[in-house]
Amino acid sequence: MFSRLALRSVAARQSTPTALVARGSATEVSGLRDEKNFPRPVRGEPGKVRLGFIPEEWFQFFHAKTGVTGPYTFGVGLATYLFSKEIYVMEHEYYTGLSIFVMIYYASTKFGPKLAEFLDKEVDNVETNWNAGRLSTIKSLEDSIAGEKEAQWRAQGQELLIEAKKENVLLQLEAAYRERALTAYQEVKRRLDFQLEKTLLERRIAQKNMVDWIVANVTKAITPDQEKQAMDRCIADLAALAKN
Amino acid sequence: MAKRFTKSAINWVEFEKQVPPEQKTKFLAFKAKADIYLRRVQANPPEPPKINWEEYQKIVPVKGLVDKMKTAYSGFQVPYPTDTLSAKVDEQWKSLEPKIKEYCAEIQKDIEVAQKELNRIKALPKFEDMTMETFYDVYPNEALDPVKRPTFWPHDPEEQLGYVPPQHKAVKK
Repeated sequence: MFSRLALRSVAARQSTPTALVARGSATEVSGLRDEKNFPRPVRGEPGKVRLGFIPEEWFQFFHAKTGVTGPYTFGVGLATYLFSKEIYVMEHEYYTGLSIFVMIYYASTKFGPKLAEFLDKEVDNVETNWNAGRLSTIKSLEDSIAGEKEAQWRAQGQELLIEAKKENVLLQLEAAYRERALTAYQEVKRRLDFQLEKTLLERRIAQKNMVDWIVANVTKAITPDQEKQAMDRCIADLAALAKN
Repeated sequence: MAKRFTKSAINWVEFEKQVPPEQKTKFLAFKAKADIYLRRVQANPPEPPKINWEEYQKIVPVKGLVDKMKTAYSGFQVPYPTDTLSAKVDEQWKSLEPKIKEYCAEIQKDIEVAQKELNRIKALPKFEDMTMETFYDVYPNEALDPVKRPTFWPHDPEEQLGYVPPQHKAVKK
């Protein structure tokens, strides 16, 4: 029984290392970087912007003095100044740029979300591809651990088997004891019943015998003379009864 | 008197769950045997019924027979059968227990190896957080290495020198 279980766990053991060797047998990230004092940088969130390109910090900078509308007013004023003083000249490239901006804005609002979704899905696919090998190895390792724990549990179930065997022995002893007790009882009862039956039978026979003997003797003792007297008396009684 | 059997002390349901599937048939045979024993036990009552001595006393005329039987029967102790097999079972257990422990210890070693491997893999940096540099650190053989193993763009096998497409390989054979 152990050999079969051992084969199963050996099979699980053999499948995992080969997959890992393929992925790189470096037990530690080579380069021996000091992870505690120089932790690897984690990609952070991009800075917050308004209108797509103006950093949030500029708005915060204005907020204390001019409130919420400050920066926008400043922007409009600055733009008006640049346009009116012809510091920013509206020449051909400006109109080209404006048209392109409008087209791009329209395209991004119309097609942007869908394109973003598609690209995100592609990125997710690439990521899952990378992780697939690792995840499958992790899963197989966990499965093998679970299987081995189960094998241990089952091996310990053999203790129950021994207990069951002991109980079987006890059962057999108990059965034998009960049979013996019952046999003893039955034997005694048999003998007593026999005596009982014998006595009753004897009494019955004796009774019957006595009755027969008495009747026989009485009929014998009746003489013809007595018989005639008895008959005459019976007739007289009958006549008396009939009269009444 | 040794302890009497009153009720089954074994949880057969739990026991059945612990039996490995390849030994189910053997377990069923064992259980059948145990059921036979149980039925034999239950065929007879735990105590034999009482004998009504008074009625026999009244009727049986043989002097002293009933009294003699009464004293003999009540004085008689039904012998509980001797237990020869429990010792053998204990012996079996003594030889079995170290084997179980050994097996469990071996399996435990395997579990530990697997667990260590699992921890190592879980401790590796996530691919989502890696840069090309860290990828080179973790998997030096698979990363692009322009110094030791330079490759032509687009860095796939077809564009490198000495690439043999699969069908040509088959023709060559």
